[in-house]
Amino acid sequence: MRQTTGQISRFGTLKSLMQRFAFLALIGITFALMLIGKADTVLVDRARIAVTDAVTPILRVISEPAGLIANFINNIHELANIREENAELRETNARLLQWQAAAQKLESENQSLRNLLSLVPEPSATFVTARVVADTGGAFAQSIIITAGTQSGVRKGQVVMTGEGVVGRVMQAGLYSSRVLLITDINSRIPILVGDSGNRAIMAGDNTLRPRLRYLSNRTGVVPGDKVVTSGDAEAFPAGLPIGQVARVDDGVVEVEPYVVRDKLQHVRVVDFGLEGILADQPPPAPQAKK
Amino acid sequence: MGTTFLQRLDLGARRLMPFGITLILMLFAMTPTYITGLSHITPMYAFMAVYFWSIYRPDLLGYGTVFFIGILEDLLAGTPLGSSALILLVCQRLVFSQQKFFNSRPFGLIWAAFALLTIGASLIRWVCFGLAGTTGFTPFPTMVAGALMTIALYPLVAWIMAKAQMKLLPQ
Repeated sequence: MRQTTGQISRFGTLKSLMQRFAFLALIGITFALMLIGKADTVLVDRARIAVTDAVTPILRVISEPAGLIANFINNIHELANIREENAELRETNARLLQWQAAAQKLESENQSLRNLLSLVPEPSATFVTARVVADTGGAFAQSIIITAGTQSGVRKGQVVMTGEGVVGRVMQAGLYSSRVLLITDINSRIPILVGDSGNRAIMAGDNTLRPRLRYLSNRTGVVPGDKVVTSGDAEAFPAGLPIGQVARVDDGVVEVEPYVVRDKLQHVRVVDFGLEGILADQPPPAPQAKK
Repeated sequence: MGTTFLQRLDLGARRLMPFGITLILMLFAMTPTYITGLSHITPMYAFMAVYFWSIYRPDLLGYGTVFFIGILEDLLAGTPLGSSALILLVCQRLVFSQQKFFNSRPFGLIWAAFALLTIGASLIRWVCFGLAGTTGFTPFPTMVAGALMTIALYPLVAWIMAKAQMKLLPQ
């Protein structure tokens, strides 16, 4: 009897020792992985792409109910406001018709001037539409996973947009899925123009809802409500894409409210403007014509 | 009386439940909720699950499994590789080492201990992210908001897991 108890207690000690060893070994591995992640980003990126590609079908299924509920709530809101919205739309329509006439006049004028100058046209943009299946990182990183990858022509560095404005850039492109770095992420830096005067600055995300402007060329001219668009510097983004508007100017700190709200993203467009961009780590393949 | 193959399969599947729930909660944290302002303070669901199962069924969720879930989370979420695994492992280790303290304590006390662990874990994560990146630290209030969200939602998630444990797991 005593011998059995002794055996059990020896076995228990051995088991607890083994557990402690396993814990220490795994903690050691996590630190090693953190170092590898900092030193060899290509290897870690490849692992991330492979895992994301494999898990995206599951994320697609899990995100389906949330999308359905959101659509249902939206529908109820829309039904409740349908009369007001209709009146508003009529008014907007009338105003837009005037703008259309103005735009047509300007377009023909533009065309004739271009002909006079023999201007070489810019390559036209093509795009792929994808669904947002995951919103990852929480408080510490802001990226989304979308259901389009290199098979659909998505490449690292391409611009991701909605109808409202810029969402971010493709950070990793897998075969069937991609990760998009949002403009609010702490690692996002975008050259922009602010206001009508064309003040240049860099919009830097900081993981909050409102990115801030840095290196503003002329701080005094910026007021809340000023429009913020991409400047096209560094060829990361083409010029003139809408981003948001200045929300607050306080003691030298300029905060921008993006047009695109992270929580509302359901579908996005990955746009190929034919730019090589600063994120690409390999020369892009020849552009393919898409419809 | 020996058990049949089907019975053993059933038992095995039930014993995998803590791992399955932790994995599903980890993926659930990444699902878009479409609720304004929520996604940048998403609670650490996997952390809640690891804490819960480490207290109530330490035999069914070991260090290796927790490490696997943490690494998978980091690879999927684009967060520094190893940072989630680190806080999950430390949480589990602390719970294991205080097994006597956690034994049949009232829920209030377990929740308070969870709050302390969450604050510690958030701080570790915050430092890991700050050191792993090149652009500095996430603003402190954002990190605190995420931690508070995790603490606030723990009772609900723990209740669901407790129901699952009572229904599906053999004692």
